[in-house]
Amino acid sequence: MRRRVLIAVALVVVAVTLFVVGRGAAAGPLELTTTGTRYAATVLIDRPTTGRVVVEVRLRSGDPSSVALEPVMPDMGHAMPEVAAREREPGRFLAEGELFPMAGVWELSIRLDGPAGEETLAVNALITE
Amino acid sequence: MRARLLAAFLLVLLVSAGAAPAAAHTVMAGADLRFAQTIAGTELTVVVKATPRVPGPLRVGVLAYQRVADLPVKLELRSVADGRTVTGVARAALEPRYAELSVDRTGPHELRLSAGGEVSVVPFRVLVERGSAGELLIYGGLLVAALLLVGGLLTGALSRPGPAMLLSGGAAVGLTVATLVIVFEPGMPPAPPDGAAPVATALPGGRPYAQGRVTTTPARPGAGEEFTLRLDLVDGSTGRPVDDLAVHHEALAHMVVTSEDGRFFRHVHPLRTAPGRLEVRLRADRAGRYLAYAELERQDAGGQLITGTFALDGAPATQNAGDAPATPDPAAESGTSATASGGGDAASSGPGVPRLWPAVPVAGRPTTIDLDAAGPVRPWLGMAGHLIVRSQDGAFLGHVHEMGSTGPRLRFTFSFPAAGRYLAWTQYATGDRIVTVPFTVDVSAQEAVR
Repeated sequence: MRRRVLIAVALVVVAVTLFVVGRGAAAGPLELTTTGTRYAATVLIDRPTTGRVVVEVRLRSGDPSSVALEPVMPDMGHAMPEVAAREREPGRFLAEGELFPMAGVWELSIRLDGPAGEETLAVNALITE
Repeated sequence: MRARLLAAFLLVLLVSAGAAPAAAHTVMAGADLRFAQTIAGTELTVVVKATPRVPGPLRVGVLAYQRVADLPVKLELRSVADGRTVTGVARAALEPRYAELSVDRTGPHELRLSAGGEVSVVPFRVLVERGSAGELLIYGGLLVAALLLVGGLLTGALSRPGPAMLLSGGAAVGLTVATLVIVFEPGMPPAPPDGAAPVATALPGGRPYAQGRVTTTPARPGAGEEFTLRLDLVDGSTGRPVDDLAVHHEALAHMVVTSEDGRFFRHVHPLRTAPGRLEVRLRADRAGRYLAYAELERQDAGGQLITGTFALDGAPATQNAGDAPATPDPAAESGTSATASGGGDAASSGPGVPRLWPAVPVAGRPTTIDLDAAGPVRPWLGMAGHLIVRSQDGAFLGHVHEMGSTGPRLRFTFSFPAAGRYLAWTQYATGDRIVTVPFTVDVSAQEAVR
């Protein structure tokens, strides 16, 4: 009996330790903000993994008529085709596709164009397998 | 059971190993950001001192290396995440007073500097150390142990052996956790600071090479006319602008501009005016072909040298008794005794005259060059002195750092790669000027000496 309790306590301790040490390492949804002179955007990636992903661009300021995403992996020198994001509702653009073919840090450039002019903003996203 | 716990800990250590934040281009308490800028016709070094927490003040000072009469440098600090901008003014001085700019978040920022009608925008990250997970475990474990021990003593005093054993056992676990962490924490990777760029496990090799294009504005500047020398950097693999330059030897890029004959020499630190674009204003008095070399380093990559040429139009200027440069320029003042001391002229000595050892340098073997400085030497670009070496045809450029001598003597060691004539310039900062001493070195082939 006592032995079982001790083992249970030890397991709880290990679990807490793993949680404390490993927090931040897990790939949760990404929310990245960037602000330029004409536009300000928040990029949301629900599952930042390789394969098919949905990237949402929410405008915090500015009203672009077109939004396109250009993924580049600077460490490897990989560049992927530009993906156009569609406006689902005012100020909310969605792009879907295989944007990130490899796990690592990707620089996602967001080219925004509209009556206010063109501007390219960028965020860095950690993509996992 | 302790063995199991230990195994679990080792597993945690292994899982969390790797992934340290890149040190380049960041501002964190204890790690200032220093970068040189050639702006408003003078050499400055901008120092950004970090804040230990946010919101808090970021302190910015501008060090002058040449005589300046009250040069205000306008500062504009902008958070790239939320666009919040704060402004201030720093005055360039030998011992500057620091301007304080308040930052209220970590992460990517841009510092915009304006002086003398020129503007530079330097991106960097504000980082703040996070409390370590290890500390939490140490203090948590000790707290648990203390509480349970008191409980265990109390229950023991009330003669209830069962719960007393449980509580004491728990206390032992708490102590074990705290002790293990104390023992192993020095070997554990630190948690990335707040505001750090995301990092993946290190990939083999570095980033792709940067391709450079050197142009001037106007396209064909005239001799004696001020022009802008521009370097556009493009990633060789993606074709996109290279905007990830690491601060390397206290600058985003070290640019050496020489005339083909070597009589004109500048070592400048161009301004970042747009992503992947570096610019510097120059003026040269003689027409002809000029060679530009940019020494830079991408983040997570090694150093590289990018070269280009440009030409100046106009009638050749009047001869100026072999001095380099023809007219004094604030960017590179010549020393008082800046005449050349040729290879083999080792017997001649005196302030400012470089001495070579061996007297006739041999290709492929180390040559040591000694020089007495004109006064107390001030570290510049992180070093006491710099030696720039160019082969006469311009195909080779070397940048050597002063190593290990004391007092006003500068010593450089360099192996000239091949026989032939080299043009060389040593540079150091003293008081309120940067002294440039040009000379030539004749290197003999290895066979000739054997």
